[in-house]
Amino acid sequence: MSVRRVLRALWRVNVVEELQYRANFLASLLGTLFWIAMALLTLALFFRHTSRLGGWDYWEVVVLLGVFNALTGVIEAVLRPGIGELVDEVRSGKLDLILTRPVDAQLYVSFRRLDLWRFADVALGLALAGYAVVRLGRVPSPLDLLAFAVTLGSAVALVYAIWVALMSLAFWFVAVENLSVLFDAVYEAARYPVSAYPGALRFVFVYLVPIAWTTTIPASALTGRLGPAAALGAAGVAALALALTRLLWRAALRRYTSAGG
Amino acid sequence: MNVWLRRYAALVRSAWLVDLQYRAAIAIWMLWNVTEPAIALGIWWSIASQGAVQGFGRDDFARYFFGVALVNQLTLAWDAWYIDRWVRDGEMNFRLARPIGPVHEAIADNIAYKARTASVVLVVWMLVALAWPVVRLPFAPGRWALFALAVVLAAAIRFLNGYATGLLAFWTTRATALMELQFGISLFLSGRIAPLALLPPAVASVAGVLWFPYVLSFPVEVLTGGVVTPEQYVRGFLGQVCWLAVWWAAYRVVWRRGIRHYGAVGG
Repeated sequence: MSVRRVLRALWRVNVVEELQYRANFLASLLGTLFWIAMALLTLALFFRHTSRLGGWDYWEVVVLLGVFNALTGVIEAVLRPGIGELVDEVRSGKLDLILTRPVDAQLYVSFRRLDLWRFADVALGLALAGYAVVRLGRVPSPLDLLAFAVTLGSAVALVYAIWVALMSLAFWFVAVENLSVLFDAVYEAARYPVSAYPGALRFVFVYLVPIAWTTTIPASALTGRLGPAAALGAAGVAALALALTRLLWRAALRRYTSAGG
Repeated sequence: MNVWLRRYAALVRSAWLVDLQYRAAIAIWMLWNVTEPAIALGIWWSIASQGAVQGFGRDDFARYFFGVALVNQLTLAWDAWYIDRWVRDGEMNFRLARPIGPVHEAIADNIAYKARTASVVLVVWMLVALAWPVVRLPFAPGRWALFALAVVLAAAIRFLNGYATGLLAFWTTRATALMELQFGISLFLSGRIAPLALLPPAVASVAGVLWFPYVLSFPVEVLTGGVVTPEQYVRGFLGQVCWLAVWWAAYRVVWRRGIRHYGAVGG
């Protein structure tokens, strides 16, 4: 049975379920708008005391904020309800039920459940980025847009890879229930251009925990700070990360002995 | 009195032992609490590279945000989320059936958790200070005593504020949304993202009449030396005492009515 057909069936059930709780949509939307407003006020506060942040001006950082929000939307809509549940399932042994199914376990675990309403965050984030580009008074060339699409796609792939890697740690450290909080903590730093941080932190965010690639690079593409070569570089980093997490996932599964085993 | 001391000793001891099982998870929560001030420090550090920002140099920002990390760890209040869950899944029933009111258990949990985590923050601060003289504080026992008092009051306000808000779960399923709302506002009004002096003056004066600055900004500035004149001390402590009274009264009202209103889940 193809994993695609299975997932499509799961998503259909998912949509029907979520449509019962339409008030949640309003609550989720209001929440997102509130946090975007807080983020914009924070930026306004920084820019009261400076005209540039790491060499970026106000609207350029807002473009980045839009990208950050779109990625947060992907995380909340797909990753947290899917792979985010893995820690619990490893601990309780529920993973057994998934492993016995005749589909690819990594894909199934990753994409079985969606938090539909949070896709609105993606739309809002992209809209914010688009508005900020207009305010910059800059018309992106088709090449810029292509570079943006490639780097944003790479960013999604990279964030996914980081989540799989982080959640796979559950196979080694069964007692740590809040591994996703580790991601949330570090990912907060991706709200601002990586050039705004002191040198040591910058090194960490580019090479060790590569979150700089997820927001700074796509935003740079949209504001014309980035050539097509760098976009290809981002795609390369993402492909490498995906391949590495695949290997890590396999190694992790070999360790899995089920609960009580 | 003696009875209560023994009760609290037992409750705190048991909470301490429960936490002992979750050391790795607690370390991750701590990291989460520390990243926000660390990021704010990174950004202000870069902004202050061209010179002091309204009198705040790089060193002042470093001490301020180290203070924020410590005070935040000491005053955190997550009880609203627990109450919300307990009301929803019915665990509240067991807690209400116990011979000591749920609020005492919550206070004991807070004491145990904060003692554990804040001591880690303090040790890390001291280790950093060995290597990085910027974050060293002058030796001032009198100031530290006042700081301790300000932190205790701040923790009490934040606890009662969170507890009273959480108890709204007896009526609504969105009590935690109110906490999120306050959390967002406190970014600015509590001084989490910047010292209050750097806010637009109109915003800072609004903050002065609410409880937000008294739960974080005031204790931090007592520690780092932002609060110096007797008048500033009096105003700060007075604000803390007033807001403590207000949130205590709010807690009493919400608790009494909530208990009467509560129809247990599955009941």
